[in-house]
Amino acid sequence: MSGLASALLNGLAQGAMIALVALGYTMVYGILKLINFAHSEVFMMGAYAGFFALAGPLAGLPPLAALPLTIVAAMAASSALGVAVERVAYRPILSRGGGGKAVGARITPLVTALGMSVLLQNAAVLAFGARPRSYTRMPINTQLVIFVTAIAVMGALHLLVNHTWMGKAMRALSTNVEAARLMGIRTTRVILFTFAVGSSLAALGAVLYCLDQSQAYATMGQVIGTRAFVAAVLGGIGSIPGAVVGGILLGVVGELTKLTSYSGGQDVLTFVVLIAVLLWKPTGLFGRGGVEKV
Amino acid sequence: MKGVRSLAPFAVFAAVAFALELSLPRLVADSSVRQLLMLGGVNVLIALSLNVINGMAGQFSIGHAGFVGIGAYASAVVVANLQLKFPAELTFARSLWLVPAGALTGALVSAVFGLLVGLPSLRLRGDYLAIVTLGFAEIFRLLISTAAASETGGPGALLAKLGGQNGYAGPNELGVPQPAGPFWIFFAVMCVTLLALRLKFSGWGRALRALREDEIAAAAVGVDPTRYKVTSFVLSALGAGLAGGLLSIMRDGSPITQPDNFSFQMSFDAITMVILGGSGSVSGSILGAIFVTFTIKLIELLQATDAAQALKASHEWLDLNALRMVVYAAVLIAVMILRPEGVLGERELFQRRRGER
Repeated sequence: MSGLASALLNGLAQGAMIALVALGYTMVYGILKLINFAHSEVFMMGAYAGFFALAGPLAGLPPLAALPLTIVAAMAASSALGVAVERVAYRPILSRGGGGKAVGARITPLVTALGMSVLLQNAAVLAFGARPRSYTRMPINTQLVIFVTAIAVMGALHLLVNHTWMGKAMRALSTNVEAARLMGIRTTRVILFTFAVGSSLAALGAVLYCLDQSQAYATMGQVIGTRAFVAAVLGGIGSIPGAVVGGILLGVVGELTKLTSYSGGQDVLTFVVLIAVLLWKPTGLFGRGGVEKV
Repeated sequence: MKGVRSLAPFAVFAAVAFALELSLPRLVADSSVRQLLMLGGVNVLIALSLNVINGMAGQFSIGHAGFVGIGAYASAVVVANLQLKFPAELTFARSLWLVPAGALTGALVSAVFGLLVGLPSLRLRGDYLAIVTLGFAEIFRLLISTAAASETGGPGALLAKLGGQNGYAGPNELGVPQPAGPFWIFFAVMCVTLLALRLKFSGWGRALRALREDEIAAAAVGVDPTRYKVTSFVLSALGAGLAGGLLSIMRDGSPITQPDNFSFQMSFDAITMVILGGSGSVSGSILGAIFVTFTIKLIELLQATDAAQALKASHEWLDLNALRMVVYAAVLIAVMILRPEGVLGERELFQRRRGER
């Protein structure tokens, strides 16, 4: 029984962490209708930023001071990276309305998103090496810290989206970008803000993940990124509460499969969940459907 | 009479490929160069098959390596077992039934998986296909490489027979037989090229293009989006399975089929081939495939040189393959921003002027 209980607790922590990354996917998708493949690499870079902050300038500090500072450093680095990705890879294409008249115009933004992801991942291999870097161990209850931090941040995000001017602008953009622009909202600024927030959430998730798993490596984004994306689809892509619920569900179920004998089960299950959702309820648990109009 | 005429090109292809089979060992003495040429042929098949779904249909599949891998494993298993059951020397006459048995099994198995993956994801917006194919290819690779030999009974034991991380080397661990010589590779390349061209300019290809340009308008004039998209995805998987089926039994190739050969990197290389050459263009895909094959080989050669080894010793971080991926990705982003239609666009080299483009 204790095995089951600890798996549940661990699953909640893992799920909260996945949810943080899933939020970045869902926020960007909600506004740009684009899968930001590079988001998983922003997550990975956040982990490295945290590693270097913790191993370098913050090495001597007591854990209670070092941890928040590490998180802040990683969030700052990741949001700068996320904004840079948007400026370099997405804006030039989205501002001319996809690929223009070229063949396969709709897949153009997807290609750049994927290219950005491959670029960042291999740049990380070049810059930081292929070997995993070990995080400094912290004398704290990591599961508790992960869960409390994640819930607090999600609460803050809820306030941001529903009770501030910027949040209202974000919601306006996700309904209709053109109409939002006509209402005097500076859409490019809101988009950049969305990337910054999503990326810093990913960085927070990355530092928490590394505290738990105690290492950062260049391909970590691919593994966690797929899980987080499935969480976002499961909850209904574009829906913020959906991403949270989807992430936690995926985390708990993933930890429960570890109790079974089949070790490679978690990622197979993730994929099965994705297919099942697409078959029966493509809009996810909280998503809004809608017929595309001419 | 018409039936005979439409078959005539294939007879010509067979003759040309047979001439290559006889002459290639004499023309090119170095077996590693022959291997490179044949690998280029397989990559052309991979690019042409991806072009059906990514170029002509305008969808975005990023797990092509999964289908190539399925074809490779299916073909390796069939050919290795047939060779074990009916042992004999691998003559050309023997390859006449051994290679089609393997390659066609690979193509069919892959097509079945294409249907399974395509059916749920192609009913939705294009982005879903991307993530589902990515997940599918990774799961395929992970399932094979993590299957433990210790497992008894159930699907785990069957998967473990495929050799796990070390790769599949036939039922007796002696390596997969490699009957597919230049004849088969180049015959397949020529046939698939012709079929791809015919497909593109057929009514079916035109319907697909209409769908790509405007799904709603195409549906309004009677093109069923899901049916066309799923058919093209299955065709694409079929071609990938054929390419993989030839790859695993290719002469001068590797006698062991390894799961890590079919990683995301292969899918990304395939995307680079199609996008650089020009999405939707058959000759563009071929040019892209040749370009990518030779740059990969060039980097392998560079890595083997003394200068690169010395550099590697002094700069441990320098990973030439990662550097190649960075450059490819940067080029891909630049192409998308500056010339999103690729080098050739949708045009063909040597295209006759017709009423339509």
